Amino acid sequence: MKTIAVIFGGRSTEHDVSIVTALASIIKPLELTKQYKVEAVYVAKDGAWYWDEKLKDIDLYSSGGIQDFLHKSSPVSVQFDGGMTLVKSSGIAGRKTARKIDVVFPAMHGTYGEDGSLMGLLRMANVPFVGCDLDASVLAMDKVLAKQIVASKDIPVAKYEYLQREIFARNSSEVLRKLEKALTYPMFVKPAHLGSSIGITRVTGNQELRNAIEVASHYDEKVLIEEEISNLIEVTLPIMGNETLKPALLERPLTKPEDFFDFDTKYLQGGKGGKKGGSKGAQGYSELPAKLSDELYKKAENTGLSVYRALGCQGIARVDMLIDFKTEIVYFNEVNPLPGGLYAHNWRAAGVSNIELVQTLVRLAEERWQVVKQQNTIFSTNYLQQF
Amino acid sequence: MQLIVDSLITNYTRAGRGKVIVLLHGWGDSLATFNDLGRELAGGFEVITLDLPGFGQTQSPKFAWTLDDYAHFVKNFLDKLGVKPDVIVGHSNGGALAIRGLSMDVLKSEKLVLLASSGVRNTKSVQRNLIKTIAKIGKISTFWMPRRHKQKLQKWLYGAVGSDMLVVPHMQETFRQTVRQDIQKDALKITVPTLLIYGDKDRATPSQSIGNKLHKLISGSQMEVIPEAGHFIHHDALGVVAKLIKDFA
Repeated sequence: MKTIAVIFGGRSTEHDVSIVTALASIIKPLELTKQYKVEAVYVAKDGAWYWDEKLKDIDLYSSGGIQDFLHKSSPVSVQFDGGMTLVKSSGIAGRKTARKIDVVFPAMHGTYGEDGSLMGLLRMANVPFVGCDLDASVLAMDKVLAKQIVASKDIPVAKYEYLQREIFARNSSEVLRKLEKALTYPMFVKPAHLGSSIGITRVTGNQELRNAIEVASHYDEKVLIEEEISNLIEVTLPIMGNETLKPALLERPLTKPEDFFDFDTKYLQGGKGGKKGGSKGAQGYSELPAKLSDELYKKAENTGLSVYRALGCQGIARVDMLIDFKTEIVYFNEVNPLPGGLYAHNWRAAGVSNIELVQTLVRLAEERWQVVKQQNTIFSTNYLQQF
Repeated sequence: MQLIVDSLITNYTRAGRGKVIVLLHGWGDSLATFNDLGRELAGGFEVITLDLPGFGQTQSPKFAWTLDDYAHFVKNFLDKLGVKPDVIVGHSNGGALAIRGLSMDVLKSEKLVLLASSGVRNTKSVQRNLIKTIAKIGKISTFWMPRRHKQKLQKWLYGAVGSDMLVVPHMQETFRQTVRQDIQKDALKITVPTLLIYGDKDRATPSQSIGNKLHKLISGSQMEVIPEAGHFIHHDALGVVAKLIKDFA
């Protein structure tokens, strides 16, 4: 039986979202397959790693008992032995328990996880892992870089500017003047690297713009400012695959443009529509599949697939798009290499059960690994013999 | 929505149009306490609520704050929004904060509404001394206990004597600072029309002691005592409280 380590939590503003993704959408279905031994690896907010069966219980986190657990437990060690082995001290006469990991299932949203940091570590550890690789994760998690790459493939993006925190701090009035010259209100201000709508503000005037940049740069040293798309239909498309891609359903979050999904709406309040009905996943209340004309649906789906390929995504990702329903232009908005809850509700609607979803993602990780293993990264030389 | 105020990420809400009402929550609470009241008022007013530092989704202060620090924070928050409140409504410790802020002339408002306001500290001197004694004895007698057991015991003891000391564990020092601040002298300086609303079942800030005392100290103030309502009077008697505020504002 293969051992899969699900790594979640982490030093990110999306720490709590990651716990829910890992426990509900990954660990549970993986265990239901009865094909894998699943190890829960929790990365605390201070960056220490813990490995324990108890970490699979949501009550531990919702009750606040996690603090007590961390206080009692010793962090786990990770042994890089040509692969990856978890090692923890049992506390009895210094005995140690070790578990060799066959596949890693990263479930850490945002900084130090989804942004490629964890993928870099796993590549170095020489262990197969689920989802996008290092390069695609880095691109996907930098909203500015992602726009630049996607735009180079002639896929439309909203008009945007970006700035570094330092430059704004040094001369905010000049920065604001330039932004107002380049872009038209209303605008959205976003931290370049954060997901889950954290730190995002819609602004309609100078003072709001200044305040919003302050908020975004509190979270991130790089800030994206972009024009709002008129006549907006917001859609999102989960996709999985390495070479051959499988889209789920195009989903339309049912919000007004001035009332876009923030962190609260997405994760804390159970969606914008509350209990009015409709599909409710990590994204809240939505229309699934999005009610668009066949032509526009196909256009948006193709744009999503093109973005996935342009950014080199593998395994799974979710592409967010903005449609101007009058011009029928589909704009790329952003890509999420680890959709909250894997967007399992959407996959279910598309005919893929939670269990099939995680099984497929593990298979894709192993297939990619086979390809990676065949690549030559070392070769013999007589270079050292010269010395 | 968020703002940076005094270098702290500050969570707030803003809804409705009309005269501006700013709602200040109490200790260990958050802006969510005003969800229903805010909805009731937003029909005819612009309603602003915020999570005070250390509560809800606003960052904690970097050091232990007093009511004065909170008052300056609220002022800076309102300045940043470019808002001049017509009415400040403070619940419990939020009421004490409003009184202190207005008396220092840091906060400015046309009118003040105090919902089960605290701030009269000496009526609970017996209780405070009891807490101090428990804390001292507790420290000596539980030094041998594992930290987690000690924390559980502390929480139970403080709860048993009705103290909010451990409601927000990371804010204990700020709690000590704010409960030391008696605002009776500040209440004497309040000159704006003031409405005090208390519940007759409120045991945390009883109307007979705290409410009546503040009523006497604040010149020309009105006081309403709502039957069968407790400390969270805006939950227990939402419709009555909303109507009183609307009529007063």
